[in-house]
This record gives sequence, structure tokens and C-alpha cells, in this order.
Amino acid sequence: MKAVHYLNQFFAGLGGEEQAGTPPTRLEGPVGPGRGLQTALEGVEIVATLACGDDYFAEHEQEALAALLDMLAEIAPDVLVAGPAFGSGRYGYACARLAAAAAERGVPSVAAMHEENPGVAAAGAAFVVPTAVNVAGMRDALPRLGALASALASGRELGSAEEEGYFARGFRRNYAADKTGAERAVELLLGKLAGETRTEAGGDLDRVEPPAAVADLSAALVALVTEAGCVPQGNPDRLPSVRAQGWFRYDLDGAETLASGRYESVHGGFDVTLANEDPNRLVPLDTVRALERAGRVGRVHESLYTTTGNGTPVVVATRFGQEIAGQLRDAGVQAVLLSGT
Amino acid sequence: MAWELATFPADLLGEPETLESVEVEIVPSGSPVRVTHVLDAVEPRIRPDGRPAFPNGGRAGEGRTNRLDGVVVLSCLDFPGEERPLHEQESIVDLGGPGAALTPFADMTAVVLTFRPAAAEGHVAIDAHARSVALSVAEELARPTLDAEPAEIERFELAAADESLPAVAALIQLSDLGPLYIQYVYGAPAGDAGLPRAVDPAEVLDGAITCGEYHWAAMRNPTFFFQRNELIRTFYREHGSTLRFAGTVLMRGYEQSADSKQRAAERAARVAGELGADGIVITTDAGGNSHTDVMLTCRACEQAGIRTTVVLAEETDPESTKPILTDWVPEADSIVSTGNVEELVEAWAPERVLGGDLLLDGRPAAEARPIPVRNYLGAANQMGQLALSARAV
Repeated sequence: MKAVHYLNQFFAGLGGEEQAGTPPTRLEGPVGPGRGLQTALEGVEIVATLACGDDYFAEHEQEALAALLDMLAEIAPDVLVAGPAFGSGRYGYACARLAAAAAERGVPSVAAMHEENPGVAAAGAAFVVPTAVNVAGMRDALPRLGALASALASGRELGSAEEEGYFARGFRRNYAADKTGAERAVELLLGKLAGETRTEAGGDLDRVEPPAAVADLSAALVALVTEAGCVPQGNPDRLPSVRAQGWFRYDLDGAETLASGRYESVHGGFDVTLANEDPNRLVPLDTVRALERAGRVGRVHESLYTTTGNGTPVVVATRFGQEIAGQLRDAGVQAVLLSGT
Repeated sequence: MAWELATFPADLLGEPETLESVEVEIVPSGSPVRVTHVLDAVEPRIRPDGRPAFPNGGRAGEGRTNRLDGVVVLSCLDFPGEERPLHEQESIVDLGGPGAALTPFADMTAVVLTFRPAAAEGHVAIDAHARSVALSVAEELARPTLDAEPAEIERFELAAADESLPAVAALIQLSDLGPLYIQYVYGAPAGDAGLPRAVDPAEVLDGAITCGEYHWAAMRNPTFFFQRNELIRTFYREHGSTLRFAGTVLMRGYEQSADSKQRAAERAARVAGELGADGIVITTDAGGNSHTDVMLTCRACEQAGIRTTVVLAEETDPESTKPILTDWVPEADSIVSTGNVEELVEAWAPERVLGGDLLLDGRPAAEARPIPVRNYLGAANQMGQLALSARAV
């Protein structure tokens, strides 16, 4: 199996800071720390070393990445190893970006650096092995880097971040624990009661900061957007009641109200009986029209945007929001009444 | 010698017209069979004293109940009509292949009931009848135990325990989101069962709770999981050794307004406090806003001084690093993950399909293709019945 090793100009022996502008270069075989890395690899040979100056990468990231990826594609290695970069920010970032880009193209990739190196957060789906903050940690880092690189090259499915010794990338994978969830819950609870709180899942949520208030609502174009699954009666476009793959836009045709029998909710996450008795309970068009007539709202946007926000992964919902917001922005909408269920 | 013959009207058959027919198939454990449209899984049980195994009144968790070990009744039904009731989810049990690792039922003899509903009938009537038949079949299957010697007898009793051990309770959430999304307590919908309230944990194990909740297949709790509830069994096992089992609180999931969610959370915490609980494990039923009920209850318990651990499934795209939980409060600092329902299970072509040949998405159930965990009945159930979990990679 073949490995490619990435180094900066210094570790590749091309020179110090004065050579930091060196563009991407291909060297044959292992170079510098690559020699030590080679002895830590099992069944994997470093066939080439790619090197790039830290300044060059920082100042010409796109060009540098393109050139390095071309070289990588030519070699088609089983694994890319980058660094160790220790605490060096520019070098760590270059290692991470190259490893991330290679991983995206299907090349198993691993970098190594200190936990506070900004590269850790830039490595995407690539693996990052922790190291000491400076080069004194080389001897300790290479065996761990080599072991993970060998595992990746062999195609072995890696265990958890904790088991394999890499920084968690933010992905989650299922596994069969050795105890039932109930037994683990009792252990966690007894631990917490004894003063040691642990968790198997974190509660990181996207928090949306409220925007500044609309300066003058009486002059604003206001749009109605909902995730309540509100659609024209009969659901002509087959909006799913769960796990929607997209959103729809319906012209209100100047309607004063969302009449029962003309609109309905197909949302599968709540009992829609009351909503369908009066669809204005989902999308308060009647009230907003009254405010429009009273001059308190400038004008109601001609279209209703709707989807079902039920069982939708956050990443998909984020895309819906961006797409709808883009259209509303192009239409000059200044305010949105977004009803959720 | 006199003999009396009493005659009753045919009405007592109930409403047989809601179900046209039922096919019964007995499948040995480990068969290369996929079972689709699974509504519920029930362990065969009968009471020697003649009281019902799934009572609609009285008190479960007293006397003796017989169980048939290693047997499960799987009831299957594809509701008629082009428009599906709300969004009842495809619910699969694979008795072989990679999906077999996601269910305890692959190791059992499965008695598969496939109901054919009458097209003209409403979903609510069809469901009521199917549930009643499935529970009756489970009871009938256990009848031979009445004339046999038990292989084992377990006794569930909470003797006085060392006062220095921490008092802990189970708080079990039961969905009630309207028709077809209802768990039943003594036959009454969870929303009409006077919850939150404390029950004897043995009631939960003894058929007091039955399932009529056909939401997210992986995240819901079939009747079997109450009958064999791992959390309650673990608490019983540890009682007097590492903890004192203070009791069980039932509460509704899917309270329908912000106010009622908050009120129910506070009442549940109060009931747990009345049990004297120092700590509590909160379990979850289904997903979406039932997770908000759990989070508010976790907060209320913590604010009442009751340390809390929550059991939850994750819902996240395996290729994204976006948040994994539907809702969260900072008090939920001790969470058991029962796995990510969005992960795919390896493709597998079953040799036979029972329950219905087409999945709800219209594709053949026999086709080998990856199927998400979310479609496997109880695979990521949030009572901690199974060992599936998720971890950072």
C-alpha cells in the first residue's frame, strides 16, 4: 500500500522561513520526519513527499491545494499523512486543509498537530492525531500517526475517537455498547449522584440570534412563511407530512383569509384537527390583512412559503431557510412572519 | 341432572367487519425473513387466576403471571386509503441479515399476524380491533403454560433497603399525539390516564401499558418493551445493593401546548419528589416535540433537586456535524444515547417478506437496499431496552 506524506518547506529540508514562499513540490520517497514515520507504518510505503512553503499555502490556498491535489491524484495513494505540525498555526492549517480536501476526494487522510492548532478545526472529514506543542513531541507522535495511517490504508473501519486516539471530528456513528441503554442510564445516574457527571451525547444546538427589530413595519413588505405543512386543499404538490425534501411557494392571489376547505395542514407531527378548522391558525393571513388595512403593516407579500418541519435533519432545514430567504431578499421583503408548530 | 344453555346476541362479536382477515405465520428464530408494517410486538402472557393479562382496569403487578419465553407476537397492518393516517412510519423487523442486530425479536420464535383491514373502515376502528386481537392472541399463546411447570420464577418486591443508598426512580414517557399515536395505560389513552402519576413498577412489567403508537418506528416503544422493561428490571436488580428503587412515574409525551408541557413537567417532578427520589432516569417515547417534554421535565426535576439522566435517540445526518438532538436544556448534562436513527443499515435481500410486500414508500420490501435505522421497530428505543448507542468519530 502507498502513502503520500505532506510536509512544509522546513521539515522537507528545503529551507527555513526564507523559503516559506516555496510553491508545491514533489519529492520522491520519505523525507525528514517521513523516515521516522516510515518505520512506524505497517505494510505501507511512503512513495512520495509533497512539500509547500507555509507562506505560499497561506497566500495562495486555492492554487496550492489544486496543485497538491493534482500530484496526489497522479500517485493515487491509499493514505495521505500530513505533518506533524505541532503548534505551528500556518503549517497545521495547510496540513488540515490538504487532508480535508483529499478526504473529500475519497483519499483516507490523517494529519497530526497540537490540540490548540487552528488546523484541528479545519480538517473536515480527515482525521487529526494529537501531538505535543513543539517538535520535542516528534518521537511520541510518529508511532501514533503511523498506526492510524496504517489502519486507514488497510481500509479498516476505525473505532471511536476515544479508542483510536484522534480528535473527534463532529460525526456520530452507531455502535453496539456492551450494556443496554437502561443499564448505562442507571450507571450514569448513580455516577451523577456521586458527583461525577458524564454524558454520551452533547446538547450542542444551533442558536439563532434574534435580528434587529424592523424599523418601520408600516412601510415594510411582510412575507408569510411556515413549517406547519399548510398547503392548498388536496395537497396538489404532494408535500410530505414528514421528512420534506423541499418547500413550496403558493400565490395567495390576494386572498383575505386562509379559508377552511381551501387550505389544510398535512403536517404529521401534531393533531391537525383544530388547524384545519381554521387554517389561519397555522398562518395568520386574516390578522395580517387586517393589520395591512389598518396601515400597521406596509404590504403582505404575494406568496406563502411552506414546508413540513417534521423529521427534517438540521442540515436540510438550514438549506430550506437559505433558499427561501434568498427569494424573499430578491423580492425586497423586509420582514417575515414565520409560524412553527 | 339439569343443564342450562345461555344464548347471547351476535353483536358480542364486536365489530369484526373492521378487519377482513388475518394471516398467521409462525417463523422460527433467525429465519431470513423481513416483517413489514409492524404495529406492535407483544410477549405471550396469561394469568393463572383468570384475570386478563392486559387489563383495562383493576391492578396489574399482583399475584402471578405466566410468560412464554422466547416468543413474540408481531402484529402487522397496512392502513387502507391513499392518504396515510398522519404519517405512520414504515416499521420493519428483520429476523435475519444485518437488521437482526437491531432487534431482540430475531432470536425469538415470531408469531406474525398480518391483518387485512376492511377498506371502508376508519383507521381508528381498524387499529382498535387489531390491537385487541394481537393482545388476545398473545394471551391465548400462553395458555399451555397453565398446565406446565415454570422453568423459573422471578419475584418483584421492594423490600426495605439501606437508607444510605440513593433513592432513584424511573420516569417513563408515554406518547399521546392523537389517533394512532397513543400509548395506553390500562386501556386508556395516555392523555386520559391522569398522568403524571406514580405507579407500582410491577404494573408496567405486567401488561398495564400497551402500545398503539405508530410514530417513528425506531424511536417508539412496543408493548414487549414495557413487559420486559430493562430500566425497571435493572432498578429491581440493584435495589438494596447500589440503590433504593423509589418507584415509577408515568407521564404523557406530546402535551399539546407550551403551558401544558411546562405544567406536566413540574407535576412530574413533584410526583418524583413525593416518591423521595434523589435521582431519576427519564425515558422518551417517539420524537419531535416529545423531546421538548423530556427536556422541560429534566429541567423541572433538576430544579426540584432531583438529579436526572435522560435517555434519548440522536437524529443527525451521519455526514454532517450539525447538532444531534431535537431539543436540549443545559440541565440535561447526563444523556444516554440510544443511537442515531439516520444511519443506514447495510442492504439485505430477505428470502421472504411478511406483513406486506411493498414498503410505505412503494418499493418492494424484498429489494436489497440500505434502509435507515429509523425504520426498524424499536431499534433506537429511548427506554434503553437495547445496546445500540452512538459515539463521536
